[in-house]
Amino acid sequence: MSEPLDLSLRDQAAAIAAGDVDAGELLEATLARIEARNSTINAIVETFPERSREMLAAAPTGPLHGVPVVIKDEWPLPWRAQRFGAADMLASPEPGESGPYRALRDAGAVVVGVGNMHELGASSTGNVSVYGPAGNPWNPERCPGGSSSGPAASVAARLVAGAVGADGVGSIRYPAAYCGLTGLKPTFGRSAMEGHHMADVSTTIVSGPLCADAADARLLGSALFGEKLRAGDVSGLRIGVIRDEVSEDVAPAVREACEAAIEELRQEAGGEVREIELPELPAATLATVLIANSESLGGITPERLNNLDPELSPLGRGLLKYRLLLPAVATVKSHQLRTIARRTLASVFADVDVIAWPTVPAVAPPLAVPMVELPSGTLTADAANVRGGALANLTGIPAVSVPVGSSEGLPIALQLQAAWGRDELLLDAAEALERANGRRWVEAVPPLAQGEPSEA
Amino acid sequence: MEASNQAGEFIPAALAAYGVEADEIELAVMQAAHETFWPPILELLELDTSAAASEHDPDLSQAPPS
Repeated sequence: MSEPLDLSLRDQAAAIAAGDVDAGELLEATLARIEARNSTINAIVETFPERSREMLAAAPTGPLHGVPVVIKDEWPLPWRAQRFGAADMLASPEPGESGPYRALRDAGAVVVGVGNMHELGASSTGNVSVYGPAGNPWNPERCPGGSSSGPAASVAARLVAGAVGADGVGSIRYPAAYCGLTGLKPTFGRSAMEGHHMADVSTTIVSGPLCADAADARLLGSALFGEKLRAGDVSGLRIGVIRDEVSEDVAPAVREACEAAIEELRQEAGGEVREIELPELPAATLATVLIANSESLGGITPERLNNLDPELSPLGRGLLKYRLLLPAVATVKSHQLRTIARRTLASVFADVDVIAWPTVPAVAPPLAVPMVELPSGTLTADAANVRGGALANLTGIPAVSVPVGSSEGLPIALQLQAAWGRDELLLDAAEALERANGRRWVEAVPPLAQGEPSEA
Repeated sequence: MEASNQAGEFIPAALAAYGVEADEIELAVMQAAHETFWPPILELLELDTSAAASEHDPDLSQAPPS
């Protein structure tokens, strides 16, 4: 058997269930590996060995019995309030049983650590956090993606085999793409959300799994959904693609890898590729950001903004204050655009099963300067990434990011989106793509995860 | 007028109306944000969305009613 720590999530669960791996030993080995590897990437900001041991001791016999997992610093735990990656998150977080925590606990999983995240969930890069930036296991000087930076980096570095993130404007899919993982943004409302500090107001945020491959994402996702995400058939899959100025504004290596992957998927499924049009897409990007920002304003008062924690980054302070200046009429327009985009998508999904485009238009940029080079010029990674990530959050549809290539030693990813409630189809398609490319990209392991001398 | 020029007046004036203080770094961040957001906001406001009344309390877990 391979080193238990390097097994997939499902194989760890199966090995524990079969008695081939002792869950207690796996937990201790996981804590030791975090100790050995985490300082390079700052993926995990807190461990709590005694709590984890207690959780294991009380773990029910479930599909994830005894399996160590990481949870993003966006979800409260009974013994720890979330910090949202920030010295000041405006809300008053308290410890508690968040929905994802309950889902993990009830499935028998063991929360072994809290994953770093971009400050206030406000970026696709992960380079700003109250805990310091997280690094990308493929190259620690590169961004791991955000805002679920730590969950992604911890899985890519094989600290754990699965992690729970949150996705309000692409925040599971961007780090999945940068770190070479499979990350699922569920249909809105389908995954556990209780206990999130914006659960009552957000219309964009969902919890979701980050794992090495689609089968693991299916297993962890089933826990978060509270229902089994059954495998299905993708025969005859109809794949929609967009050919317009913005969609084509992608780094050449990314475009080449994604086009090849789409063709591989088409062949594997015996399907077809159809060109579609989404004329609202550029405006939908802004609309998503405006809606998400407006929904975060409930706790803001001028007095509160004048008394932000000085440890909050200047970027965070400035952006929080700028949110106050966004015009209400633009938010109203954004809701109208949401309606239009949802109707357009409903029509599109009558003709295709999935829509495919690059998750992010370029590989992970440097932590120090998170800018990307595109055919149109140099853009901030955030401005470039949100073009592809926002639509699913605006409209509620599910989306998955899957690794499909590599450039500069960094992963390239394809995003697949499907109609409301068809999360299972996305995982089916991701698995078909894995079959088509011989699992080459989901089994790629970054240098950091190839073993320390102490493990030899 | 360019957004960058507008920002020099708009941001301090709007913050003052709210009674919100900001230091130079925060103002620089806000000016950069304004230059990013304001042009597309103006484009968004130009869109004719009158034919699409927003879904009232839309169920985002499902397709919109046809």
